[in-house]
Amino acid sequence: MLSRLRYTLRETFDSFRRNATLTLAAIITAAISLLGVGLTLLSQEGFDNLLSKWEGGVEMIVFVNAAATDEQRAVIATNLEANQGTFIDTWQYCDAQCSLDEAERVLAGEPGTLALITTDNVPTQFKVIPTEGTDVELLRQLEGAFSELPNVYQVQFAEDQITLIEQLQSFFGFRLLLLSVFLLFAAILLIWNTVRTAIFARRREIEVMKLVGATDWFIRLPFMLEGLLHGIIGGGVASVGLYAWNTQWTSGVKAFPEGSGFAALVVTNGYEWWVMVVMVGIGALAGAIGAGIAASRFLDV
Amino acid sequence: MIRLENVTKSYSDEVVALRDASFDVAKGEFVFLVGPSGSGKSTLLRMLNRQDRPERGAVWVAGRNIVDMPPGRVPHLRRNIGNVFQDYKLLLEKNVFENVAFAQEVIGRPKHVIRQQVPAVLDLVGLAGKEERLPNQLSGGEQQRVSVARAFVNRPLILLADEPTGNLDPATGEGIMRLLDRINKTGTTVVMATHDQRIVNTMRKRVIQLDRGVIVRDQARGVYE
Repeated sequence: MLSRLRYTLRETFDSFRRNATLTLAAIITAAISLLGVGLTLLSQEGFDNLLSKWEGGVEMIVFVNAAATDEQRAVIATNLEANQGTFIDTWQYCDAQCSLDEAERVLAGEPGTLALITTDNVPTQFKVIPTEGTDVELLRQLEGAFSELPNVYQVQFAEDQITLIEQLQSFFGFRLLLLSVFLLFAAILLIWNTVRTAIFARRREIEVMKLVGATDWFIRLPFMLEGLLHGIIGGGVASVGLYAWNTQWTSGVKAFPEGSGFAALVVTNGYEWWVMVVMVGIGALAGAIGAGIAASRFLDV
Repeated sequence: MIRLENVTKSYSDEVVALRDASFDVAKGEFVFLVGPSGSGKSTLLRMLNRQDRPERGAVWVAGRNIVDMPPGRVPHLRRNIGNVFQDYKLLLEKNVFENVAFAQEVIGRPKHVIRQQVPAVLDLVGLAGKEERLPNQLSGGEQQRVSVARAFVNRPLILLADEPTGNLDPATGEGIMRLLDRINKTGTTVVMATHDQRIVNTMRKRVIQLDRGVIVRDQARGVYE
């Protein structure tokens, strides 16, 4: 078992050395395409951050100053309850801690602002989910009533913020993903071609192996491993690229003027590590597919 | 050890490589396959290690009909069959030791077994002391000896040789034949395709003659004719 493993590893790395140029091309293509996939996922997470306060079908948010009294908040709650069952389906009160947690996502790119916010000064929120099919204009009729109330900081409507962000998300998401899929296909083709070349270079050896009784899998394994490593290394290189990109973008956004709207378009919650794992996984899969097709097509064992 | 029953193989409507061929080879026999080019000698050898399959008939090797053998079993069949070729089929970037060890390595023999058996077989074929040489640093005869050592290192039941002396001068060819005879005397069945009239007439072993895919003669202690 150990000798077979040693043989497989030795042959795999010998093949890397012999096909250095093609191997490098396959790894670079895999890395670029996987970086595209990673950036797509990362940008989608950034857009999700921008939209996070509107999660769960929230269409209107009434922001209340931290200084508001219980009575002042109760007036808003009573007003909302009065319309519940008609055009308001439900509403939630997001207290100071909940609002601070949300601010940490939304203002991740504005550390200066974030540092000033505490549970003592963060505006709390009433999040309103309308009844399905309700025209948002009906909700807007409440805006005036709430805006007049003391210590109401602001009333926001999803409609005013979401449309542009969703358009941007869809535009970038779709095109980046399409480009990534094309590049991934190119990477699979390159890996396939590299493995095919490796098989051709070793055809005499393979013939001898077959004649002395090597099993199909014993012959295939170094080639499969080679393709798999192309994908994994490509994924690793893409991960380094993604990390560098994310770090640069995050520090870049911090330098933007406060309130520029990009504060939430950063990923700082560890999601980028998950994306890196996904990239290496997709790379391994692409490598295995490319090598698997080449091995079964050209080895004829 | 080997039995062919009414074996027919054609590559097209016009090219029939073997036609209704039948014969038996007992364990430990030495058989020459003779006949002109295209008579079906190589095809017959390819049938015996399942590189090729007949359209009709049965090929029995070591008690098993290998025609319908599942592909997964074929490697195990081949571990009992050694192959020697006219062009040696050595791996040029591997040295003598590595070429022979390769046959053991790829079937998962442990390193300590390889270290023990490869020098022994190199000694048998007269290449002791040349383990580190690359194939292009050897004469044709020596390269063929490496090929024989590789074929014999796993102690196969059968050794198939396709024109093993075809590229060698007569004296070197005789040396290879002495080696194959020696291997045959260890109990290994040898089936050898050849054009070499002198060798066949000298060795006086069983001769199966083929002509356009048909066995036209099967003679014990035969000559080339």
